[in-house]
Amino acid sequence: MTATIEAGVPGAASPAPRSLSSFSHYRHLTLELAISQFKLRYTQSALGYLWSLLKPAMMFGITYFIFVDLFQINDNTRFYGIQLLLGIVIWTFFSECTAASMQAVAGAGGLIRKAYFPRSILVLAASLTSLFTFLINLVLVIVIALALRQIVIGPQMLVAIPLLLELYLLVLGISFFLASLQVQFRDVGHLWEVLMQLLFYGSGVMFSLTYVLQRANLAVKPSVVSLRGTAVTLHFVWVVALVAANPIMQIIEDLRHALINPQAPWTILVVTGHDAAVKQLHPLNAPWVAPIPYVIVIAVLTLGALIFRARARNFAQDL
Amino acid sequence: MTERDLAIRVEHLSKRFRIPLDRSATLKHRVTHWRSASRHRVLEALRDLSFEVPAGQFLGVIGHNGSGKSTLLKILSRIYQPDSGRVSIRGNVSPFLELGVGFNPELTARENVFLSGAVLGLGRAELRRRLDDIIGFAELEQFVDHKLKNFSSGMEVRLAFALAIQAHAEILMMDEVLAVGDAAFQQKCFDTFNRYKREGRTIVLVTHELGAVNLYCDRALLLDHGRLVGDGRAEDVTAQYRRAVGIATESADQVERWGSGDVVVTAVRMVDERGVEDHNPMTGGFVRLELDYRIQNDAVSDFTCFFGIRRGDGLFVTEVSLPVSQYAEFGESQRGAEGTVHYEIPRLGLLGDSYRLNAELRHRHGGPEAAYDHLENAIRFRVIDRLERPGVYEPGGAWAVTPVREPAVKAPDQVISSTQT
Repeated sequence: MTATIEAGVPGAASPAPRSLSSFSHYRHLTLELAISQFKLRYTQSALGYLWSLLKPAMMFGITYFIFVDLFQINDNTRFYGIQLLLGIVIWTFFSECTAASMQAVAGAGGLIRKAYFPRSILVLAASLTSLFTFLINLVLVIVIALALRQIVIGPQMLVAIPLLLELYLLVLGISFFLASLQVQFRDVGHLWEVLMQLLFYGSGVMFSLTYVLQRANLAVKPSVVSLRGTAVTLHFVWVVALVAANPIMQIIEDLRHALINPQAPWTILVVTGHDAAVKQLHPLNAPWVAPIPYVIVIAVLTLGALIFRARARNFAQDL
Repeated sequence: MTERDLAIRVEHLSKRFRIPLDRSATLKHRVTHWRSASRHRVLEALRDLSFEVPAGQFLGVIGHNGSGKSTLLKILSRIYQPDSGRVSIRGNVSPFLELGVGFNPELTARENVFLSGAVLGLGRAELRRRLDDIIGFAELEQFVDHKLKNFSSGMEVRLAFALAIQAHAEILMMDEVLAVGDAAFQQKCFDTFNRYKREGRTIVLVTHELGAVNLYCDRALLLDHGRLVGDGRAEDVTAQYRRAVGIATESADQVERWGSGDVVVTAVRMVDERGVEDHNPMTGGFVRLELDYRIQNDAVSDFTCFFGIRRGDGLFVTEVSLPVSQYAEFGESQRGAEGTVHYEIPRLGLLGDSYRLNAELRHRHGGPEAAYDHLENAIRFRVIDRLERPGVYEPGGAWAVTPVREPAVKAPDQVISSTQT
C-alpha cells in the first residue's frame, strides 16, 4: 500500500496501519481518549462521578425555587417539575459538551504535534465523555419520573431516538466549529459563554412552547416598543416563531413530549397550528418555521465539519 | 532500484512557516487589522528536498538546530503538510515521534499504557496481553497502579520506551529518542535498533548523537537551513558535518605541519601492546604512542614532546607533555641525534568516536609559536567502545556500596508519594 502526501490535498490518502485496520484503530483511540478524559475529569474529587449527577440536580433545585416558588412561572401542568429536570439535563449536556469539545484541540497540543491521527478523534472523544454522562442522567430522569408516576409509557417514546441523534449531531457540529476556531482565536471561548446565556433563556429549559403561546395570547395585539425614539411594532407571533426555530428548543420540547408528557404538543403541531389545545390559545399558523430547526442542525454540522476539515491540517503548526 | 523496494520517496519537498511578528491571536486584532496584511516572517524550513529511502534502510538525519530535521520527520509522519512537493510512503508509519506521546501525569502507569498504546496503534486486547511484558521490561512491577506524576523521570522514560518498542510499524520515525535517559537506557535503545535492523524495518532517526549515526545508520542526510547538503555513507556525512561545525575547518582532513625544523618528527605511531600499528583502539585497551625525532641543529639544548588529542568535531580532549631532554643523553654534537619518545596508556579512557592526534616538539619554555616541529592531525584514529557508552571519557573508577543499615520495609526510593489510586 502506498500513501502519498501531496501539497494542497487535504487528508490525501491515509495509509492504514497494518496492525489494526485504520477504522478499528481510530475507533479504539477515540474510546481510550474518552475513557481517560472521563477518569481525569473526576480524579481527585471526593464525590467523583457523582458530581455529574449532582450538578443537574442542584441546578434543578435552584431553577425550580426561583421560577416556580418565587416568580410562579409555571405552566400549571402536572408534569412541570419533571419536564424542567429533563430540560436541565439536556441543557447541561449541550453546554458541557460544547465547552469540553472547544478545548479538545487547543488543549491537546502535545499529542497533535507528536503523533498523527485524524484530529476529529479529539472532538469525538470529548463529546463521547459528555454523551455518556448525559445518557446516565437521562435514565435517572426516567427512573425518577417512573417513581413519581409522572410518565406516560407509550410508542411515542421511540421518537426519542431520532431526537437524541439530532441533539448529538447539533452538538457535534457546534463542537467542530468551536474547536477549530479556538486554536487560533481564544476569544471564541468567551464569546460562546455569553451566547450560552442567551441560548439558555431562548431554549425553553424552564418553560414550554405552549407557555410562550399562553403569554403571546395575553398580548395578541402587537405591542409597540419605543426603541431610541423609533416605534417598533413587536408581533408576538414572530417571537414565538423565533423561539420555535431554535433547534435546542425544538429538541427539548419534543423530548418532553416523547419521554414524559404526551399532552405537551410536538413543536411541528404547534407552529403549524394543528394542535387542538394550541389552536384555542392562539391562532398561530407559521408552517415555514417547522423545518428551520432541522435545517439549522444540518447546516451547523456541515459547516462545522467543513471548517474543521480545512483547519485540521494546520493544527500541528498553529498550536 | 525498483519501485517495490522503496519505502520513502521525497520529491521537491518544501515547507515554509509563517511566523507572525506580533503574536496577538485575537479576534479583535483580526477585526481591527483586517485590511492590513498580517505582518509575518517567512521561515523556509525545507527547501526543495528530494531523496529516496529503500525499504530496510536505517537512515540518520543530522544538522544543526533549526536545519529542518524535525520538520522533515513531521512531514514524513503526516503531522505537517508539505507546501509543495510530494512524499510517497510505502508501508505503515509509526505515528509517534517522541517517547511517551499521550502520557498523562494524572493517570496510572497501567492507564497510560492503554492510552499511549492506543496512540501507537495497539489494540486493547493486545495491550492487555502484553501489559506484563511492558511493565516488566520497564522494571515497574510494583508501580503499575501508581500515578505517573509520582514517577521519577527515569521511570517514566523506561515505561515510554517499553511501550514504544511494542509498535509494529514497518517504518519508524524517531526524533531525539537518545536525548533522554541514562547510559543503561541508551544501551536498551541500541539493542532495540539492532533488533529493528535485523527485522528489516525502515528507520528514520533524527539525532545529534553522531556516534550513534555512525554505528547504526547505513546512510545519513545532512540538512543545513532546510537544504539537503549531504547524503551518503553515515561516516562520510557525519565527518562532513563535523568539518562544517568544527573549529578546525580545513585542518581536519590533511596533516598540517609547521615549525623551525631544529628538531624534526620523523614518525608518529599508535601501536598496541605487541607494537603493531593500530588506529582503532578499544576503550579500556592498551595504547602506546611513539614519536621518532631527529635533532637537526647543534644549538638545541632541550625540547619537550607534546601529544594532543582532539575529537573529530574539534573538541580539545587532552594534552600530555614530556621534557625529553631531561631523559635523553645528548652528546657534544647533537646534530643528527635520533631517538624515540614513548607514551603508554595502559587503559584508554576515551569513549567511542573518531579522534585526531597532534604531535609537537618545542622549546621547554617556548609557546606553541616557538615549535621546532608541529604535526597537526598526525594520526586520525577511531576508538571503539564495545558498550557504546555516550560521552567522551571513561574515568575507569571503581564502584563500591557499603550498606549502613537494612531498610525495615522494602520501600522504593524513587516514588515520592505512593498514594493508591
